[in-house]
Amino acid sequence: MEQLVYSSSPHIKSGRTTKKIMIDVCIALVPACIMGCVFFGWNALLTLAIAVISAVVCEFVYRLCCKVSFKQIVQEFDFTSLVTGILVGMNMPANIDWYVPMLASFFAIAVVKMLFGGTGKNFVNPAIAGRIFVFISFSAMLKPAQALIGSISGDVVSTGATALQNIFKPGTVSGLTNLDLFLGTGVAGVLGETCKVALLLGGVYLVIRKVIDFKWPLIYIAVTGLFTVCLNGFNFEVFLPSILSGGLILGAIFMATDYVTSPNTLVGNIIYFTLLGLLTAGLRQLKHQEVVSYVILFGNLLVPLIDKYIVNKPFGEHKKVKEATK
Amino acid sequence: MKSFQGGVHPSDMKFLCENMPIEQMPIVPDYYVALSQHIGSPATAVVVAGEQVEEGQLIAKASGKISANIFAPVAGEVVAIEKRKNNLGVLADYIHLKTSEKQSVVVFPKLTDLSKEKIIERVEQAGIVGLGGAGFATAVKLSPNKPVDTLIINAAECEPYLNCDNRLMLERADEFIEGVRLLARALNVEKIIIGIENNKLEAYNRLLSYEGIEISLLKKKYPQGAEKTIIYACTKRKVPTGGLPMDVGVVVDNVATAYAVYDAVVNGRPLYKRVMTVSGKGIATPKNIEVLNGTPYKAIIDFCGGLVGEVVKLLSGGPMMGLSLSDDSGVTTKTDSGLLALTSSEANTMLPTPCINCGGCAKVCPMHLMPMYIDFYALAGDYETAVKYGAMNCFECGSCAFTCPAKRPLVQSIKLTKMKMKEKKK
Repeated sequence: MEQLVYSSSPHIKSGRTTKKIMIDVCIALVPACIMGCVFFGWNALLTLAIAVISAVVCEFVYRLCCKVSFKQIVQEFDFTSLVTGILVGMNMPANIDWYVPMLASFFAIAVVKMLFGGTGKNFVNPAIAGRIFVFISFSAMLKPAQALIGSISGDVVSTGATALQNIFKPGTVSGLTNLDLFLGTGVAGVLGETCKVALLLGGVYLVIRKVIDFKWPLIYIAVTGLFTVCLNGFNFEVFLPSILSGGLILGAIFMATDYVTSPNTLVGNIIYFTLLGLLTAGLRQLKHQEVVSYVILFGNLLVPLIDKYIVNKPFGEHKKVKEATK
Repeated sequence: MKSFQGGVHPSDMKFLCENMPIEQMPIVPDYYVALSQHIGSPATAVVVAGEQVEEGQLIAKASGKISANIFAPVAGEVVAIEKRKNNLGVLADYIHLKTSEKQSVVVFPKLTDLSKEKIIERVEQAGIVGLGGAGFATAVKLSPNKPVDTLIINAAECEPYLNCDNRLMLERADEFIEGVRLLARALNVEKIIIGIENNKLEAYNRLLSYEGIEISLLKKKYPQGAEKTIIYACTKRKVPTGGLPMDVGVVVDNVATAYAVYDAVVNGRPLYKRVMTVSGKGIATPKNIEVLNGTPYKAIIDFCGGLVGEVVKLLSGGPMMGLSLSDDSGVTTKTDSGLLALTSSEANTMLPTPCINCGGCAKVCPMHLMPMYIDFYALAGDYETAVKYGAMNCFECGSCAFTCPAKRPLVQSIKLTKMKMKEKKK
């Protein structure tokens, strides 16, 4: 009898754990990573490896410095830093110098995550912060890499520019079809964002595993596409290119849906993802460059505000209000 | 299929003893009858040490409006009125009875005048309380001070493992329905709804044959059997926050309560025994048994073949809302619907990790609260803000803590907030 556990109800718990959720996210990212390596070669794999290893090592070193025993760190390792590492790697061009992903991971984990209290306490998405940190610091070096596999329509040489820039410049023949954009063939960009089909596959996996709600990425992507259409004088031809270009799908499925930095209520989430969509479309139109990461960063900062004012109404609450006014 | 918004889907584990017929638990040598087996003030003992009592004799009288009479479960001698630890680990008064060899029973006369007043009087005399777990005096519930038009019988039995209500409906359907009709008569209502989850189809089909009673098939989901959720599922009425079912014209009673009313009115037997489920993978032969009040848990476990495997939790009641026991020294009360022994494969004893703000707890909360904020503020000692996020509206169903991927003890934080606010009021 002495081994009995004495605790508060409930005494049974679901099999859902933080670790399992994070492992699911890692699995969902695998197809996009593989496609990144196919399109951009061994450099892509190296970049990913550097980003992941430095993210995990950074967390371990930080916690060791905080005098947590190594055994405990291993026990409490919840794969969140692994996810951050993969996302940082996916946001790097494949031909980048080795220390750039390392610095991005360091910034993401040490500064954004651990300094603010570790898992669940980061105020913005660490991977986004890491990406923006290096993109501002090393902007000259960060030219999108050219894919090794060319466009399947075959009539395009090298444009060097991301597909996104071509939507807004009438007359520029990008030569990339929507199918190219969807498959990532011939598309330049950071290594994880170009193959939309792989990203969507990961997204479907996450929805099936109930890690994310399909509504949220859908709202973000649809609002971006439709608002771009509106801004271009209801030209529906820009709908597909606008949603298939740049980092929108990667951001919408894997970064904006980050639990910690998205609202907690249904209404809050609708506001948040709609706002992200509107900002993405609007700023892209103004700046003619990719803005998804900046928009998500800005959105993350608004989340505490949204959560402060939008709170669920308890079941049966309205009746009480009515009675009080009588 | 009728349901409510929110809720969780724990594995119901009913198969362990779903098909075990109700067995009579044999008489044991010693009984410890608690004076507090209900919500409200404890009953006052009316026997003294050394006195001989008969089965069904009044041994403690209700001591206030919200209280209940308590009866001797067996014929025997009162050894002492002593202090024992109750299930919460607090010292309380118990009447210790030593069973005598010769058994004799006293009962009330059969009630022939089935008027509203007489039924309520008998329910009060017989010490009937809500047997679903809360233990609220049924007689008080039957005299609402607001107009009531519907009686809902809660047959959802949404707690995993428990089968006692299901077995009662299957094996004693006529008696149960008779009890339901008596309750409706006492309330003077026409509309009777029995809410039953769709994992008890055998009982559902059985009940369909009774006329004048609406059988509502509810979706199997926890906490379908909570008072406010079953009212919403059956009638779409929303009980206001801080209100009672009678505020929306409804009275809810449990299956076992209805059966107890039948027993008291027709057979004249006061409430001193009930059906309970003894289950869990830690019990050698899970059973549904009819036990007398005050039976030691140890005797029940022995009757069911003892403990097997690595038992990590012993529970009184269901696994979602039941109480964790520190040992097997406790005794049964009127409200015990289950005694469970969970092994390490069933009970999750993982330590909490940091909240990742997934919002799962808010999504499943049947009261639409935000447990993550309540937990956050309660742990920071800011109980007023925790109350703003609805801590007082929580009925502690445990859906939030069940679903939490970080395994945070959310219900514990809410209970703490409630306790601190109560202390503050004093």
